[in-house]
Amino acid sequence: MIGTTATPRAVPEAPAGRTAGGPGEPGTRLLAGPATGAEALAAHVARLGPLAPPARLATLRDTVEASGLRGRGGGGFPSARKLEAARLAPGEPVVIVNAAESEPASRKDHVLGTRRPHLVLDGAATAAALVGASEVVVHAHRNQAGTALLQAVDRAAEERRAAGMADPRWRLSSGPDGYVSGEASAVASFVDGGEARPRFSGNRMAARGPSGRPTVVLNAETVAHLGYLAHVGLEGWWAADSPDGPRLVTLAGSVADRGEVLEVGGRATLGDILTRGGWSAPPAAVLVGGFAGTWIDGPTAWWTRFDHPGLERVGGRPGCGLVAVLPAGACGLAETARLVRYLAGQSAGQCGPCVLGLPGVADGVEALAAGRLRRRGLRRLEALSASVVGRGACSHPDGVAHLVASALRVFADDVDRHLAGGSCDGATHPPVLDVPADRPTPVHWR
Amino acid sequence: MRYVLRIDPTRCRGHAVCALFHPDAIELDRWGYGQVVEPEGDDRRSARRAARAAAACPNGALLMMEVVEGTGAVHPEGTSAGGPAEEGHMAGESGLP
Repeated sequence: MIGTTATPRAVPEAPAGRTAGGPGEPGTRLLAGPATGAEALAAHVARLGPLAPPARLATLRDTVEASGLRGRGGGGFPSARKLEAARLAPGEPVVIVNAAESEPASRKDHVLGTRRPHLVLDGAATAAALVGASEVVVHAHRNQAGTALLQAVDRAAEERRAAGMADPRWRLSSGPDGYVSGEASAVASFVDGGEARPRFSGNRMAARGPSGRPTVVLNAETVAHLGYLAHVGLEGWWAADSPDGPRLVTLAGSVADRGEVLEVGGRATLGDILTRGGWSAPPAAVLVGGFAGTWIDGPTAWWTRFDHPGLERVGGRPGCGLVAVLPAGACGLAETARLVRYLAGQSAGQCGPCVLGLPGVADGVEALAAGRLRRRGLRRLEALSASVVGRGACSHPDGVAHLVASALRVFADDVDRHLAGGSCDGATHPPVLDVPADRPTPVHWR
Repeated sequence: MRYVLRIDPTRCRGHAVCALFHPDAIELDRWGYGQVVEPEGDDRRSARRAARAAAACPNGALLMMEVVEGTGAVHPEGTSAGGPAEEGHMAGESGLP
């Protein structure tokens, strides 16, 4: 099943009984079901059965732990540990479904939320049961994509109320659209009535969030996986034959259909994914995980499994599931310069090293892309970039430094040519990645 | 007493007094913001210095957190390479100051 709301294409159904989401095959978990529109409650229940209340919560906890499920929002943190920390902390936990999809090129949460709202709510109800929460907040951006998602979730919640389902209380929340406003602690801060800016306490939220209560922020896709797991149990989960389950991927850059959302099996390689994006041979390079992600050279990427162990071997991580393709003839350094300039402008403006460091990093990469940098300047750029790592309340500066380091590594030959002041063939190539223009001013955090 | 020192970067405005009070544990970066280079300590002398440095910060940005023995180590942070900060929890923090 290929998931795209914008331009639905006729895609043959996977034959019944076949293992869901094998390498390169259309996934059949999260996006299984009707190809367009929000799946109604009746159809959802007919497909997956009713969500039975867990007989024993301890068993369900063990199931989540054994599944190995890791967050799909970017951090990739083991979901079971997050839930367990909140459950054990004093006070009634708050569960927040984070559907604030801040990655400009990513659409997977939007597609999931608008098309499979009941799977998301099943997972949210499961998370609430696991930690003992009576309320779940579904948070999204105020933009068009976020609004559409919340409308779909609202309709789904109404269907569930009418059907008399034993759900937690649903609360919908929409907030600022900014890049860092989708970060977990920023979302928790906003939901608690504060600004949608990252909080320093972010990495201890499960024990004590901005509201003072244990706070679990789970990405919408993570929650949907949780819902699927609650439906099918461990056996069904392992049927995909992969440690972390399938994942949703958004294609970007030089692909057949920009913004197309795919569900790929847990054993899929980047080559499998690129094949579905219209490539039959490795492209020049691939950016994975998000705008603040990792560049991987095409031939290496082609055989790399798109999961945590596979990507870690080449210095990357799945992040939010973005796969952006750089074709031959384009300049990876020029693309990186545009990404870094955009990301530098997305700082929440709270932490000195991020505010003062990132614009300088952007200057450096731009100078390199333009052939205006020499060896010494490159060393200064590398040192500046490294100096912002670990210095923010969130890992925004870390992500930028990581992106720059991967670009210098993967495009090393280009770096040499640019340093020598030689001409770059990619200089005349039109931009490949859809990097948004500067954000609108003034910036709103509420 | 075993403690952990951390700087809340959203509060730090680079007054740099922390580095004056506890130069062994805190250095200033290229912009003058404090940077913890020795985040843990357990001797009385450094604990006293750390407490003074924390109390001296005009923004309350230097946090000294007591580690309660036997409750586990501090979650490693700053290791995620991009994307939202990883979740974890710090055991036994007292929330000083």
